[in-house]
Amino acid sequence: MAEMEDILRALLRRALSERGGEARTLTGITIDSGWRRFEPRLCAEFSDGYRTSHSLTPSACFAFCERHGVWDIAALRGLLLQDMRRIHAQMLREHRAQRGAGRQTWIAMLIRRLRGRLRRRPGRQLPAIEAVFRRHFLDESGEAWERGLQLLEENLSPEQRRQYDASGYFDVTGGASGKRYRIRQGSSMNVEQLDKRGRRVCTLCFMPAGRLVTGDVMLAQKVALEVFERDALKVANKFY
Amino acid sequence: MGVQIVMDRSGDTRHEFDTADREAVARAEQRFLELTGKGFRAVALGKDGGPGTLMRNFDPTVEQSLFIPQLQGG
Repeated sequence: MAEMEDILRALLRRALSERGGEARTLTGITIDSGWRRFEPRLCAEFSDGYRTSHSLTPSACFAFCERHGVWDIAALRGLLLQDMRRIHAQMLREHRAQRGAGRQTWIAMLIRRLRGRLRRRPGRQLPAIEAVFRRHFLDESGEAWERGLQLLEENLSPEQRRQYDASGYFDVTGGASGKRYRIRQGSSMNVEQLDKRGRRVCTLCFMPAGRLVTGDVMLAQKVALEVFERDALKVANKFY
Repeated sequence: MGVQIVMDRSGDTRHEFDTADREAVARAEQRFLELTGKGFRAVALGKDGGPGTLMRNFDPTVEQSLFIPQLQGG
């Protein structure tokens, strides 16, 4: 079982590590039969046509089938797909958190941000080092971080959740004005007001008091814009 | 059963109360008044992530209420 999970993780790791990996959704799984002395291969297919495969040992396949009590190929594929989707969602979350926390040192991230600032164009996504800063300097625990993220995800609409999973941001409609806002992963300078074409009009900076974790901050920003937009805009600093 | 979710540095703290229990409802109302008195905003969360509604008064029939600390500009 562990071996099969390792194979699924290896496939997903490869799919996620390549360009556009986070935007891909898993669409299918196939088992290509072995040819002559070659082992069969487990192939994962994604929404953008990307396909990746890994050798499948008979022992791993047998252990998986025995554990689940399935002995026909259709049921096996169904179970593998179900398992792979679960692992994919989990890896996406880890990938996002890792990207937020950053593998690089904070100084390298800071240099990257300063470089980005020099060549920033209107509408370009702001590079975020807030996550790194918060975890390293504000002593945010990983558990609090997870809880915040979980609370946020529980309160996103299905469309916002899909958008957040795919792109790391989600859009919100202002409750009073009907204007569109984009909330990006981060705790400050992470809200953008968009025009009708989806282009950035300005960046808004507001957050709840008390050094909350990123998930809480993003949820507070979403709720504020949906429920008491005018009050939120009154306190927000705007950057054009 | 009602839940009051208070945002804090640990992520959040959840206070559950039985809507049929008068004492529990009174404690929940007291918590509501204390938090809103400190500047928290109480929002009745919408279903499936939909927009919620601002709670100006305590309503024991609300299933999930979220307490957000006062907003500040960054």
